[in-house]
Amino acid sequence: MPKFTIDGKEIEVAAGTTVIQAALAAGIHIPHFCWHPDLAVDGNCRMCLVEVEKMPKLQIACNTQVAEGMVVRTNSDKAAQAHRTTLEFLLVNHPIDCPVCDQAGECYLQDQYMDHGLHESNVEIEEKVRKRKVVDLGPIMLDAERCVLCSRCIRFEREVTATNSFEFSNRGNQMQIGTFQNQPIRHDYAGNLADVCPVGALLSHDFRFKMRVWFLKEHESVCPGCSTGCNIHVDERDGETQRLRPRRNVEVNKSWMCDPGRKLYKDIAVTTRISGARLKRPAGWEGVAVTAALDEVGSWIKGSGNTVAFVASPQATNEDLFAFKALADCVGGLLDFRVGDPQLKLHERIDGVLQRADRNPNTQGALDLGLGKDGVAEILKRCASGSVRALVLQGPELLRSPEAVDALAKVPFIAVFATHEGPELEHAHAVLPLSLWAEVEGTFTNYQRRVQRIRKAVSAPGDARPGWELASGLLQRAGGSLPAQSAREVFARLQATVPGYAGLDYKIIGSGGRALQTAEPAAVEARA
Amino acid sequence: MATVNVVRVERNTHPGIYPILLGLKITFMNMIRTLFMGQSATIQFPEQKRVSSGRYRGIHLLTAREDGTPKCVACYMCATACPAECIYIEAGERPEKSIEKYPTRFEIDLLRCVYCGFCVDACPEEAIMMSRENDLVGTTRAELIIDRDRLMERGKLAEYGPGYRPTDHDVRRPVRIAALERLKKEHGIVPGMPHR
Amino acid sequence: MASVLETPQAPAASTSPTVRILREKLGDQVLRVDEWRGDLAVTVSRKAWVEAARTLSFHPELDYKLFLDLCGVDWLDRDGHDDRFEVALHVYSVSHKHHVRLKVPIPESDATLDTIVGVYKGANWFERETWDLYGIVFNGHPNLSRLLTHDSFVGHPMRKDYETPKRHLLKEAKQWLLKVPEGSEHMIVNIGPSHPAMHGAFRVQALMDGETIQDAEAEIGYMHRNFEKMAEERTYWQVIPYTDRLNYCSAFMNGHGYALAVEKLLGVPAPPRAEAIRVILSEFSRIMDHFICIGANVVDLGAITPFFVVFRAREAIYDLIEACCGARLTVSYVRIGGLAQDVPDDFEARARTAIASVRDVTSQMEKLLTRNPIFANRFKDVGVMSAEDALSWGWVGPCLRGSGVAYDVRKDHPYSGYEQYDFDVPVGTVGDCYDRYLVRVEEIHQSVRIIEQALAKLPKGPVITDDKKVALPPKSEVYSNIEALMNHFKLVYEGILPPAGEVYGYTEGANGELGFYIVSDGGKFPYRLKVRPPCFAIYAAFSEMIKGGLLADAVAIIGGLNVIAGELDR
Repeated sequence: MPKFTIDGKEIEVAAGTTVIQAALAAGIHIPHFCWHPDLAVDGNCRMCLVEVEKMPKLQIACNTQVAEGMVVRTNSDKAAQAHRTTLEFLLVNHPIDCPVCDQAGECYLQDQYMDHGLHESNVEIEEKVRKRKVVDLGPIMLDAERCVLCSRCIRFEREVTATNSFEFSNRGNQMQIGTFQNQPIRHDYAGNLADVCPVGALLSHDFRFKMRVWFLKEHESVCPGCSTGCNIHVDERDGETQRLRPRRNVEVNKSWMCDPGRKLYKDIAVTTRISGARLKRPAGWEGVAVTAALDEVGSWIKGSGNTVAFVASPQATNEDLFAFKALADCVGGLLDFRVGDPQLKLHERIDGVLQRADRNPNTQGALDLGLGKDGVAEILKRCASGSVRALVLQGPELLRSPEAVDALAKVPFIAVFATHEGPELEHAHAVLPLSLWAEVEGTFTNYQRRVQRIRKAVSAPGDARPGWELASGLLQRAGGSLPAQSAREVFARLQATVPGYAGLDYKIIGSGGRALQTAEPAAVEARA
Repeated sequence: MATVNVVRVERNTHPGIYPILLGLKITFMNMIRTLFMGQSATIQFPEQKRVSSGRYRGIHLLTAREDGTPKCVACYMCATACPAECIYIEAGERPEKSIEKYPTRFEIDLLRCVYCGFCVDACPEEAIMMSRENDLVGTTRAELIIDRDRLMERGKLAEYGPGYRPTDHDVRRPVRIAALERLKKEHGIVPGMPHR
Repeated sequence: MASVLETPQAPAASTSPTVRILREKLGDQVLRVDEWRGDLAVTVSRKAWVEAARTLSFHPELDYKLFLDLCGVDWLDRDGHDDRFEVALHVYSVSHKHHVRLKVPIPESDATLDTIVGVYKGANWFERETWDLYGIVFNGHPNLSRLLTHDSFVGHPMRKDYETPKRHLLKEAKQWLLKVPEGSEHMIVNIGPSHPAMHGAFRVQALMDGETIQDAEAEIGYMHRNFEKMAEERTYWQVIPYTDRLNYCSAFMNGHGYALAVEKLLGVPAPPRAEAIRVILSEFSRIMDHFICIGANVVDLGAITPFFVVFRAREAIYDLIEACCGARLTVSYVRIGGLAQDVPDDFEARARTAIASVRDVTSQMEKLLTRNPIFANRFKDVGVMSAEDALSWGWVGPCLRGSGVAYDVRKDHPYSGYEQYDFDVPVGTVGDCYDRYLVRVEEIHQSVRIIEQALAKLPKGPVITDDKKVALPPKSEVYSNIEALMNHFKLVYEGILPPAGEVYGYTEGANGELGFYIVSDGGKFPYRLKVRPPCFAIYAAFSEMIKGGLLADAVAIIGGLNVIAGELDR
């Protein structure tokens, strides 16, 4: 454990730590372009030069390991001068593009110019080297003029996706980045290229010209796309989600996120969202207030007793599942969630990077909460035999499965919580408007049994409510009660009853999540 | 500290009717000045209009390139700087790779606008300026949300004249450009390389 | 230039007598002493609050008699603040020429504080405002009710967790401001909110015994827009257009005061040319403001001629202002660190024309009014305010000087280079309406003197600082090079990032000391921006002043107080 001094602060770090990592841990920001915490060190941008006592020349902080007794200065005159001149060099051929560049607002060049540059320009537009602009690489747009040749994209392609699409071509001031014959990027992690690019050379096609990033407000959340549970930021402006972006969590997704996950924001504000409750009448659907719909469903539940069956959804948060289970337990009906057996695919990887075959974010949570009880097949069998008088679905999964159609036709009353319109809802008799993941507070448990928080980023449309609120409304009408006013309070009750979750609360889970003690260590795969 | 005691105006005087007569005289003098000496402080609006200064912050206009398309590249600087949040922009893609971006929608809500001129200050392209036009008439609110095409119309400018706009001109740049040209002419050296 | 990175820190032992005496009196109840950017701030515990205020006011060595400001700050979930709220009091010692800020932390669980109305009369409305906006209850306050917001408003809007998009339907106006004694046969008269003698929308309810006012109570807030809350969501330079709408009769001076306060916070001064131009335009604005005040005052009394006479000069000044700023009233000409652009080439000629016009109309106005017996009889010995009361109410500017206290920020704490100019500070002797009128007239003359001196030695040079973290780069640079373009972008979308800390910047507005108390957390928006509006404190005394007088006198008084709704209600 070497001890060293940086900007007058004495800190102790693990052996092998580089100066830039140690500085970051101490809250000191050393300017850099090519260094990335989750990529190999390259040391080509020369921006992170720091002064190390007793070394004649400045050293790059990203590739200098901390040694015992080292004295580092990141802002001495010599280091500041180096930062300024390096930046000036990087800007020599940089186009005057901020107005048309989507990176503006999260651009390392802009930030570091304000912090370390503030120099005058010495180059005229006419003198600048022109390179390729607006090159469409599928999900990514390339602008070679803006590139600072940091090679982050090259290393990403090499180390993370192993596709090696990018390479430098030419030399000197003609050097530029590109793919072979401008071939488009054809893997599921292209969005990360725009994230790793510190400047505007690689930009997302999807986000292109859509919004200026300084208008966006970020909210910490978790991707609901699969059981991996990548940590993300939901970027929203005035209640409209604009993009999803990975949030670094070394234990789960490092700094990455897949493209299918990035596209999930498009489901949030669409016209097919369900914003109000409705009931099926002989004359057709009738829109009603949520309380009226809850009354109707509640009276069916009460009237049917234990002939009610419940099917939960692994798309729901732990809080929703807990309330739903409380409802099922109170009534005493059949209960399960495993439509299509997601638990079998929980750990199965689709590619070697992040995605998993189970497209539900909370299968593990549902298993932990004991929702896998009676078996979906059993429920369907009872439905087919006509002994289920009412069916309450936490999501429309069961309605979508073709083998269930015949059995469901025999159930006199089906109530479903749903977020989006779809043809399957025609099989139901009552539709309750459900909030989507970006509109609620709650927790998901990923395949590693890591409990992670999602946060409310935008408001739900119309009358849509969180799942726990709907379930608790039904519970109240069925004669039980769930004394909780918020997801936080539901979770407080959850941790008191569910083994393994004991002692957790939202504050302890924090932004990085909390891994639970696993009952069967063998079941947990080595992390991605 | 030098202070003036206003007691130098004697408080307890009894000047009688004289000040009132003096006041009448001043009033009549002003009447004569106004009516017969052409020193009226008012103008015959609307037949006669005030000439505003060249910095007047009136209704905005968008400048055009030589081909008539907007100079604006939809960078949102004006919308960001606007304290009244009255500018709405949507960006689109232009075929020219050197420009890339242009506003498909650019709307200013003139009823929200406070005419502070910060949009002009914030514009990095000299695309938005203000005119001296200040008579803002409409029968509905929607009418006074003016869109890109109306902002581009410059017909009325002849009548009112340009208002608040960037004025500083660089003295350094032309010298350097001339040097670059001489370099090219005399030595055949072109800094940088052509686009390929 | 002072370093922007300088951070506030508490000196080990302050040499200030204020701190020494407070420590002697209160012992360990003095929690903290900060001296930063020349401001002295003393934090005391809640127990010692009234005692501390009393000591400041009555201790002969301190003599902080002039009440300036009292406001709340909400530190919701901020590190370093165990208690959620804070109340800050600003007072001034005329004899020692010193400001002090007294602060007290208040926990959220028990958001109460003892009132200091017994020490400073002016605290009355300021405490009401603090309760209204922050929900801090002042124990023992005579009338703790809504002041700026409507009576049926729900919540306290300046709290950081108040949801700004929330809308309220406010219907029922408060019908009774006064308690009418049971069986009283006196008549209630509502003066305003819309009344020809009221200068803007504000209302006074008077209990009349014949022509005599028995009791009166004022209601304000008709033009309240919560400028301070809006400022918390604007970058430092986006606030500038809002300041124009404070005292709109002298719009430029508000921006001047605001820019100086932010420059004090940043430690970045404006260049001398900018300061000189600011002084010239501020003095012209002061002249206009005084013209409006006097003109409108006598219109209330039935004399319309002086108002029309002075308008001729006002027009000349407005022409000058428009030539510089591009607008007559909503000038938004100052920038943090200087001015938006240099004055036009014909600035001096235009200014001299305006001066000539001011001289002309001022002499006419004086001839029309000063000796006029009708006017003098309505003004003399009406609305007398003693110096002591004036200080306690927090009166400043011409009104305070009319009561004989020679406090003028330009003289006592020169800013923008006022120390270079030779001018006098007129003071009154009686403190009545007539004195306030005479002070204003004399100030017009003094302002002309200042302008002439400033014009004569108008320095050459830039009009905005060259600090790249404060001023936008020149446009020609922005168009042609990436460095300036990036600088421009960062300044527009991120704004100016001042160091964390707090300052109280004060200037002599047309109505008196216009203060801006800025609390910065180092972010792009001001964490708290409190305006110390001079006419707010002045108008607070109005309903007390008119008690026992004639209704007609109330009309004569109000014009001379120069209450401007934009500044009063913010």
